[in-house]
Amino acid sequence: MLKTMLELGKIHFKEYTTYKSNFYLFTLNRIVEVIVYIFVWQAIYNQTGNAGGFTIEQMVTYYILVISLASIATWGVNEDMAHSIRNGKINKELLSPISYFKYYFGIYLGEIAFAIPVSLATFIICAIFWNVAMPVSIVNFILFLLVIILILPISFFIQMIIGTVGFYTNSIWGMQILRKSVVSIFSGLIAPLTLFPQWFQTIANILPFKEFIYTPINIYLGTIQTNEIGFILAKLIVWIIILYLISKTFFNHAVKKITINGG
Amino acid sequence: MKNIIHNMQLYFSFFEASLKEVLIYRLDCIAGMISQIVTQLVSIIFVWITYQNTDNLAGWTFKQSLLLYGIMLTSIGLVDLCFDSLYDIGPKYIREGTFDKILLRPVHPLISIIGESKAFTAFGYLGLGLFITISMLAKLAIPITFVLILKIIFFSIIGAAIIGAIITIFSISSFWTYKSNEIIWTFFRMYTFTQYPIEIYNGFIKFLITCILPFAFVAYYPTMNYLGIDKYMTWLSPIIAIILWIIAVNVWNWALKKYRSTGN
Amino acid sequence: MGQKEESNMPIIEVKNLIKKYKTIEKEAGMIGYFKNLIHPKYKEYTAVKGINMQIEQGELVGYIGENGAGKSTTIKMLTGLLTPTSGQVIVDGLVPYEKRIENNKKIGAVFGQKTQLWWDLPVIESFRLIKKMYKIPEGEYRKNLKKFTQLLQLEDLLEKQVKNLSLGQKMRCEIAATFLHNPKIVYLDEPTIGLDVLVKDNIRKFIKEINKEKNTTVILTTHDLKDIEDVCDRIILLDKGQIIYDGEKQKFKDTFGNSVTAEIILENKQPNITQKLYDEDFEIIEENENNIKIKFSHDKTTIVKIVEILSKYGNIEDIHMKEAELEDILKEIYRGVKIC
Repeated sequence: MLKTMLELGKIHFKEYTTYKSNFYLFTLNRIVEVIVYIFVWQAIYNQTGNAGGFTIEQMVTYYILVISLASIATWGVNEDMAHSIRNGKINKELLSPISYFKYYFGIYLGEIAFAIPVSLATFIICAIFWNVAMPVSIVNFILFLLVIILILPISFFIQMIIGTVGFYTNSIWGMQILRKSVVSIFSGLIAPLTLFPQWFQTIANILPFKEFIYTPINIYLGTIQTNEIGFILAKLIVWIIILYLISKTFFNHAVKKITINGG
Repeated sequence: MKNIIHNMQLYFSFFEASLKEVLIYRLDCIAGMISQIVTQLVSIIFVWITYQNTDNLAGWTFKQSLLLYGIMLTSIGLVDLCFDSLYDIGPKYIREGTFDKILLRPVHPLISIIGESKAFTAFGYLGLGLFITISMLAKLAIPITFVLILKIIFFSIIGAAIIGAIITIFSISSFWTYKSNEIIWTFFRMYTFTQYPIEIYNGFIKFLITCILPFAFVAYYPTMNYLGIDKYMTWLSPIIAIILWIIAVNVWNWALKKYRSTGN
Repeated sequence: MGQKEESNMPIIEVKNLIKKYKTIEKEAGMIGYFKNLIHPKYKEYTAVKGINMQIEQGELVGYIGENGAGKSTTIKMLTGLLTPTSGQVIVDGLVPYEKRIENNKKIGAVFGQKTQLWWDLPVIESFRLIKKMYKIPEGEYRKNLKKFTQLLQLEDLLEKQVKNLSLGQKMRCEIAATFLHNPKIVYLDEPTIGLDVLVKDNIRKFIKEINKEKNTTVILTTHDLKDIEDVCDRIILLDKGQIIYDGEKQKFKDTFGNSVTAEIILENKQPNITQKLYDEDFEIIEENENNIKIKFSHDKTTIVKIVEILSKYGNIEDIHMKEAELEDILKEIYRGVKIC
């Protein structure tokens, strides 16, 4: 089963790489995004000598890491799902010999496989122009990677919930923009979460999105105590279970009532 | 002239047809509108955080920055409303084969395609943009005169036209790759540069957003005018819009000719 | 349960199948659309009204009916894509909408021009993926690929990107992809729509060939009755959600297609014989200078009697008779000829 999923991932990745321009564009996209934030903070720093309680180097590193992680945190298969729902290809997907979840998880792996080189390229290009801090230790770097791996199923199950909504509405692009926005707000993509009001931080602590960006960056920078990491991993696993159950139940319920493209 | 009026009429009839189509997907439409607003909240939150850490950015206060933001968002709303379907040329029209049908219509294909825009969720942007603009004008104690209203309407449309032309130019990528929406989006999103006073950028970016992709004329210079900081630069906007559209239409026709001669 | 008993069971069994849909009632005009957005009105309609059928392994069944007769709805329920409102569907011992994945492994399906092939990649990549997904053994895959390539003339297409294929080429590849894993049952919903005659012919021959070799059960839905004429042995005719005929194709023709047209060439024909012969057991459809076209039915009269009558009006030179084609018969049925 895993082999089939990897095969699906591979074919999706191949499809991406048919156009080399995709790679450059995504990277350019990410860099444009980060430049704005960095210039704003630099302007603040030049005027006040302070960048939200951080040194400008720390802030720049934060945003470069944000942008490197952003593709992994926000990309997904919802666009492909929306396309399939719209053109009726979904019927063929539902008739394939592996389940819809596994089918799309395979595709999702291909998507992430493409996000990784984009992330690395963004990181490297930014590292040429600005000073970027390296991870504080190998252990921290491994934990950083571990958290990133654990967010993949979380992100995926959320996408499946949204994809399933499409069975009823026939279109999901609105929901999928909403997903990206919510992730952006609660993950620390806009700014370090410490700069937000206290009540906001409380919500962010409960939701799993903080671990998409903010937590891994802090592990990378060594600003999280090692004893907190156990708690973070436990939180992620609980979320994986909850979201798995919700998405699977919802999907099973929906698939009984599917009326895609009528009769 | 008669030709232009005829084309405008055609445009509006396409527009009506696509409005009806989108309302069928009503639930997603509502979700779309909410999500557009939430997306903008992301940017507004960043502006807010910025001014938690400084009382001015390159001389601009929080309220002035928000006014700039509101003006920008109004134009972006218009852009989404009118030019959204340019993103679909590759993934939808060409990939699903409806592009040939469009070529057979007795109208310029650009008009057909632009007319099929149906991002009516853009009303979310438009509403939010106007709301921010009006409330900031009031907070900044700028008298909302008839002339100012006319100016805002005029420059918002001009701003949308500038971005529309830029999107049109980059939409020719659709003739080569169906993932063209990423390419268009990459250049479109450079508008985020002008959500802040352009003084904060280095020379290269300043040059880029005033001379090459003149996003600065969409909101930045008009807002300078409303604030009374710089009265004259913004009057270049209409000229720039016209020049850009001449370039856009010619580039598009050239690309279409190329696409037709190579076939697919 | 023994092997023997199982093979006696029909591969598809449908009992009292009913499907009801709820749709939003659309109102006309701009205001109506906005009203719908806020307060939609629902309307229920029954697409499939209690159908029963049994299909045996290896049958070639033409599932036909007008637009909106409920064909696609039935196919979707057979494949497990739709859950019936009530009734029972059993496909090869499974209820397809309950054991979807199990069922999917045994079936293949084509829906119109929609393709499962990966748009940006060469065709062969999609085939390889299908091989992995269905766990087709290497030897079997090679054998099938070779055979299909030859039958459907795919040699030059396999390395091409799907987006560069013409519709006919794409459909040939799609058909190959559907049969690659040796499905027991294949559902073909309008597989030849929009294709030219040669490609259609190619696909029909392919289906027959595979059926003969592998005993694949094929359910074919189409508006092109030439497909049915060429491929199917059995016809199930659906009208307004109900089966109005189920049986052999030839029998269908014999029962409903009993009218025969004949062109008779008469030398020294008297003019205007139509007026004189209006009371006979046959009908004159056309009259020209030296020939007439007539239509008659076997149970009312015979060609011998007709010849006898007509010979009074000229010397019979030649007779061309034509049995009614499926299309003519259906046209008549749709026009409202009652079937009991």
